[in-house]
Amino acid sequence: MRRDMLPWNLLGIVVTLGAWEIGGRMLGDGLLAPPSSVLAAFPALLRDGMAGTLGTAMLQMLVGYACALLVGVPLGVLMGRSQMADRLLHPWLSMLLVTSTAALVPLFILIFGTGMAFCGALVFMASAFYIMLTAYQGARGVDRRLMAVARSFGATRMQAFRMVLLPGLFPYLVTGARVGLVHAIRAMVMAQMFVMVGFGGLIAQSGFDPSTAGLLGLLVTIMLASLVLNRALDAAGHWLAPWYRASKAGH
Amino acid sequence: MSTSLSEPRARPVLARAMRLRGASAGIWPALSILGGLLLWQLVSLGFSDFILPPPTAVLQRLGDPAYLAELGAALALSLGTMVAGFAVAFAVAVPLGTVMGRSPRLAAAVEPVLTAFYAIPPVALVPFVVIWFGLFVEGRIALIFLMCFPDILVVTLAGARDISPRLIAVGRSFGASPVQMLRRVLLPASLPFLFAALRVGLARAITGMITAELFLAAAALGGMMKTSAEAFDNAGVFVIVVLVCLLGLAVQSGVRRLERRMLHWHMEDNR
Repeated sequence: MRRDMLPWNLLGIVVTLGAWEIGGRMLGDGLLAPPSSVLAAFPALLRDGMAGTLGTAMLQMLVGYACALLVGVPLGVLMGRSQMADRLLHPWLSMLLVTSTAALVPLFILIFGTGMAFCGALVFMASAFYIMLTAYQGARGVDRRLMAVARSFGATRMQAFRMVLLPGLFPYLVTGARVGLVHAIRAMVMAQMFVMVGFGGLIAQSGFDPSTAGLLGLLVTIMLASLVLNRALDAAGHWLAPWYRASKAGH
Repeated sequence: MSTSLSEPRARPVLARAMRLRGASAGIWPALSILGGLLLWQLVSLGFSDFILPPPTAVLQRLGDPAYLAELGAALALSLGTMVAGFAVAFAVAVPLGTVMGRSPRLAAAVEPVLTAFYAIPPVALVPFVVIWFGLFVEGRIALIFLMCFPDILVVTLAGARDISPRLIAVGRSFGASPVQMLRRVLLPASLPFLFAALRVGLARAITGMITAELFLAAAALGGMMKTSAEAFDNAGVFVIVVLVCLLGLAVQSGVRRLERRMLHWHMEDNR
């Protein structure tokens, strides 16, 4: 987003909110609650313990997501640096990338039950392979000449990894982490909605309310949570490595 | 003597061996898949068939003609819905994305809204879809639409924005009419990202299809999956998971093949 486009950004938001408000008033709360009604529904949502369930859901999501990072990044880098690993792992990666998380839900319920293990496993499966893919693309793309320079200056394998590969890889890792996070949050909500617990359960149940204000309030909440987490990850990327630019590795 | 006889033949053999070496990348993935299946078979020995059925049990399922017929019918129904939802999304998102990509201000106005919408997990829209479109085919098509629309839009927008202004300038200075401009310059220049949109959108549409079938009224492939799951028939669930996965792979490689044929001039290594 460029600075000089800020007025246009704001205009887009204002027009959308305005259209939503007008459309919502015309259609009524049952079909589309306007932003004013959604705002009014927040105290009730908070009273029902929305914040707590959201926190628990996010914590569970982070467990599965952390596992996905721990597995996806090393495997992806390995695939990018070793041709043999690439040949052996690539078919699995492409297969698991196209596997819809939703299709795994019934299977995972049978295997893991409906508790935390189920949610964590689903989050893991949803995010690990995107993280692996970006790490792979990053490791493959690191300039061979840079590695050769490091070698000829007598860098050990470890030093070459730490000083050349890792900085070059970093933008990709951050991008992978961000894409993975989007999928992790989606999977978390999906898991909870299917078994009707936690925050996803609240969303599923609010579908039965006569007014859509509560439902929209929950959607806005999860949207904000997702945006905040994504921003935090981006900021962490900048802080850890100032040379990192999110746009460099694409999305 | 034998060496002199085999000399002329040695060359083609060697050539074939060399070609095989080049193709050995094609052998290893197959070996890896086979190894994985073998491992699955071995591991599944340690579990009851309830929890982890061996691949042979899953394959066995496909030997039953009655089951196969049911599976075929469900697949056809699923695919029909998927194509419908995707087609509507593609038809709306591509023109919209192209227009937005050509106007930086419009793009700037839409971008934050798109980002916000994108941050909402698509399943969370299910209650909404139910309220507006019901639990059945219309609802499924609507959810598929909602799931692939933003992705197609984002890809098209980015692609249209990146059409080189030089191409357009060349077309203009050679006096191309608006129709010629569209047919000869803009369309070929957009094909690469249209294919990207097709690929991304179809992947999302398949996910949307199975999500809709599981989270709205159970139907088609998702319905079969739910029925199997309720009967604790894990092999039956696996069949559908594998089928959906293969469907995704087939669609991706199909689009890629089409892309390679139509865009041979646009060399790009994006695997």
